[in-house]
Amino acid sequence: MAGRLISANHAAAYAAALAGRANRTGRGFCSGVYPITPSTECMELLCNQEIEKGEVVRVESEHSAMAVCIGAAASGARTFTVSSSNGLALMAENVYAAALLRLPVVMVAANRTLGPPWNIWADHGDTLMLRDSGWVQLYCADNQEVLDSVLCAYRLAEDHRVLLPVLVCQEGFVLSHTMTETDVPSQERVDRLLPPLDLPGRLAATPRVMGGIDAPHTTEVHRARHHEAMARVFGVYREVQDAFERELGRRPADPVVPYRADDADALVVSMGTIASTAERAVDEARARGERLGSVRVRMFRPFPAEQLSALFRGVARIAVIDRDISLGFGGVLWGEARGLAEPGAVAQGYVIGVGGGDVRPEHVAAIAADLRARNSAGRPILMEAGA
Amino acid sequence: MSDPLPAALPTGGPALPLEIRVHGRGGQGGVTCAKLLACMFAEQGLHVQTFGDYGSERSGAPVRAFTRVDTARVANRNKVYHPNHLLVLDAALLGDDVLDGAAPGAVLLVNSARGLAVFSEGHRGFRVAAVDATAIARRHGIGSAALVIVNTTLAGAYARAVGIPWDVVERAYRTQDLESDLPAAREAYEAVAVREPEAGAATPAPRPRTPAPPRVLGIEELTEDLPARLPTGSWRTQMPRYRSHVAPCTAACPAGNDVVGFVQALRAGGVEAAARVLLATQPLPSVCGRVCPAPCMAGCNRSAYDGAVNVRALERWIGDRAGPEAGRASVPRPLRFAVVGGGPAGLSAAFALGSAGHEVKVLEAGPRLGGVLRTGIPAYRLPPDALDRDLARILALGVDARCGLAVDAAGVRELARGHDAVILAAGLPRTARLDVPGQALGGVEEGLGFLDAVKNGGGRLLGGHVVVVGGGNTAVDCARTALRCGAARVTIAYRRGRAEMPAISSEVDEAVAEGVDLLLHRQPVALIGNGRLQGVTLAVVEPGAPDASGRRRPIVTDRKATLACDGLLLALGQGADLGLVPPGWSVRDGRAFEGEGDGATPTSVWLAGDMATGDGTVSHAIGNGRRIAGRALAAALGAPAPAEAAPGPEERVSPAHVRFSYFEVIPPRPERHAAAAARARSFDEVSRGLDDASEADRCFSCGRCTLCDTCLLSCPEGVVSRSDDGYAVDEAFCKGCGMCVAECPRRAMEMTLEAAAR
Repeated sequence: MAGRLISANHAAAYAAALAGRANRTGRGFCSGVYPITPSTECMELLCNQEIEKGEVVRVESEHSAMAVCIGAAASGARTFTVSSSNGLALMAENVYAAALLRLPVVMVAANRTLGPPWNIWADHGDTLMLRDSGWVQLYCADNQEVLDSVLCAYRLAEDHRVLLPVLVCQEGFVLSHTMTETDVPSQERVDRLLPPLDLPGRLAATPRVMGGIDAPHTTEVHRARHHEAMARVFGVYREVQDAFERELGRRPADPVVPYRADDADALVVSMGTIASTAERAVDEARARGERLGSVRVRMFRPFPAEQLSALFRGVARIAVIDRDISLGFGGVLWGEARGLAEPGAVAQGYVIGVGGGDVRPEHVAAIAADLRARNSAGRPILMEAGA
Repeated sequence: MSDPLPAALPTGGPALPLEIRVHGRGGQGGVTCAKLLACMFAEQGLHVQTFGDYGSERSGAPVRAFTRVDTARVANRNKVYHPNHLLVLDAALLGDDVLDGAAPGAVLLVNSARGLAVFSEGHRGFRVAAVDATAIARRHGIGSAALVIVNTTLAGAYARAVGIPWDVVERAYRTQDLESDLPAAREAYEAVAVREPEAGAATPAPRPRTPAPPRVLGIEELTEDLPARLPTGSWRTQMPRYRSHVAPCTAACPAGNDVVGFVQALRAGGVEAAARVLLATQPLPSVCGRVCPAPCMAGCNRSAYDGAVNVRALERWIGDRAGPEAGRASVPRPLRFAVVGGGPAGLSAAFALGSAGHEVKVLEAGPRLGGVLRTGIPAYRLPPDALDRDLARILALGVDARCGLAVDAAGVRELARGHDAVILAAGLPRTARLDVPGQALGGVEEGLGFLDAVKNGGGRLLGGHVVVVGGGNTAVDCARTALRCGAARVTIAYRRGRAEMPAISSEVDEAVAEGVDLLLHRQPVALIGNGRLQGVTLAVVEPGAPDASGRRRPIVTDRKATLACDGLLLALGQGADLGLVPPGWSVRDGRAFEGEGDGATPTSVWLAGDMATGDGTVSHAIGNGRRIAGRALAAALGAPAPAEAAPGPEERVSPAHVRFSYFEVIPPRPERHAAAAARARSFDEVSRGLDDASEADRCFSCGRCTLCDTCLLSCPEGVVSRSDDGYAVDEAFCKGCGMCVAECPRRAMEMTLEAAAR
């Protein structure tokens, strides 16, 4: 076995600590943390890490946790926090603030259903609630990807062409608490990947106002610049992938991950670990002679519309699976992806696994069968995955 | 490891990919177990994945954990529906749902005390294995008394059952920092019993819900909405029970008092309620509340916290305030008893028999009742009116006390003929002698005689330097009495060290505070004088090898010095006078027998107190007097002797059982004492007792429920409720998590194994 038998929560904490230490010759590391299931183990492990010129501050709420990150990041420190579900909801005001102040904060979310009634299991609804907050959003499909994404996130966020916070999403329990062998890179390698943070216009000896009054016309400019920075993420991310591959010897996944999609006449589009399950279903369908393919949307913001359009070209039937629901509309991913299908193609939405249901290959097979029987898309279908 | 194993291992290990499902209960460590298994395979270079089936369940609920093993990275993110290996941490969970999805030939390992007998017909198609992991883990002290943790033990058995070499197991435990559990794992590795599957045997049909048929066309019929009624009582293997345990004070009391009982009765019901508890075992609370060495306080669990509860002072508080009436039972045909000796043992026996409704005559040689309490304990420790208060309570029972009546052996025979039983409790009238020249000199005196003369003979005047020889309570009493009689200087000479003095330690402290000198490791070897004592020659004594009692045997050296003195009081201990036992009789275990040896026949004559035991304290004498009275009564009635079983150590409440954090720190409330300078020349009582009874509030009530509600408040399910006689646990819902027992501040509860669980 290569690597250590650890959970994705712990993988994220190790990554944050490695990134934090890598800024020891810069302005150091600072993290504000507040526990919530299923992300608590991440902050617990982080609290126990020795980080030179690093400080993990245990605060009284998620709102304050992000406030700590904002203050520290504004002064040039590398910052990190982790949360889930209703914790993210409470944090939301400052989540927006970090992005609108263009601070390169990195956050990990262990996705969890919002309540009440209370449910601790996986659901993408909590981070999709923050869809429009101005953060880059990455959705992971395995433990190693969580660790690697956190490291990539710093390099991406701190690039002067980007300067945006990054949210790394991993499904609660399915990843957060599942232990598998994970490579934790050496500090030397991470030091080479992540040079000290150089934040333009950081708060230093000279007082300076951040986040003052924005008039309508300056707000228009700020939003336009923020949106343009988002657009530059794809190009910068490719450079991050190159650098990562150079320093750590493996290439992080692309913003969109197709699987046996080249010759597919039907595609299943999904995010997170449901995509891993979809890939298993694709293998089974191919064995039966069906030309099914899978597309995993790894980067949800900025939304990889061009890449998806290219993959959807010539595909007659597209199933979009959401582990979330925008109530009164349907799946969030479906809402964004359906418009990218070719005119005349069927882009049907399926909502399954909300609240943590165990979505299995047979569910995906049933979805594929339903899709093939359709000549036009209907209203989104809400499905039961069961326990 | 090269030790031969009892059965051949399957070769090559399990086939891959492999899916393992662990079934346990919340709190048993199923996730750690699954991780440990993953680690054993990871140690062999394989890819693994392991996770728990997390939920909102608390301790005791059935839970699952999973492990996958493959030669490539595991991409399957689903739960395990078709396990190749099944581990069951709790045999009570071994129902059909555990077997869900398992095919014939699957490995089924169960933690069970019943070995392979735990499996039934339906398991014949599996490769079954069983081990008593609970017993092994308990032996190795893994977990707590309330909950034994079996996961690491069962994992050892698993390794053996599926053919994982022991060195791999060792590496896996070390990686997981579980090295300390390796001995238990090794024991399970060796003890696990395995049975191969029977070819062609059917396994239970897979239940239809696995795998659930996928449904695409929407959630049409809503499953039952929450809250659903879930009778979780079926999940438990253990059940909490309210049960008293023995407090260390009660266990330590030589008189057999229910110490925690009377202290709690005082707190909750006041003096009369406390007196009812106390008088059930002993009639002399005013006396014991002053002179007892109080082993209850030495044993008090509160001394491990903020100081022992001042039990002795509370007993005095009760004795001094309780009314003179004691309950007397009514029997249709009262028996007649004679008690020889009106000291503590005799009085205790008389009180026990009188309370039981029988006729008792006490014959006392001295002019008044009380024995050594009357003659040997000075008034500044035990004022006569305190003794009289206790005596009034005994006499109020109708006990016929006759003083000034010495009895001899012939008299004992006479008494035996006229009574249903006779109890001899003459104490220790014989004083030990000092074998040195010069004992006839004027100024040399027997300590006990001196104390009696001072207390009952109208006082004595002393002057100059008085030396007291001895280290017991009599020696200290003599020294302090000598000071009060006018001695200019008093020295106690004792042959051993301060710590070995048998006297009550606080009495020695008080004596020193009053000005008494201690001269330790000294033994008189000669008394010097010319008609009148002028000095005593003391030899240095060195501590030698420990004797049978554990004390070091004193070795008298020839290094000597002479101490000038004007008086010498001898307090060297006392012995019994068995002259009361008629010639030709023998004594065995507190009873007199006619004749000797095996052919001796039992008589109705019994021996009690110091005369029989030589224990030497008032409380021992009281306890022995009452017990002998009980045996004499039973023998007279032809009934079996009452049980006198002492509670075993596992029944006692130790500091580890007490939840100190529930108790406020309250320093002990000492008795008020007269100042040393003022009291040293007065026979007024030194201790003035407590100001109030609030010291009783400090009692932890070890082992006895006080209705404090902690169990009720700490139950995570809210299934403990108040009932008429304390608390009730709703059996339909109690999961057996043990929280109430763990939180009980005083060990008034315990967990019991459900009979069906093993």
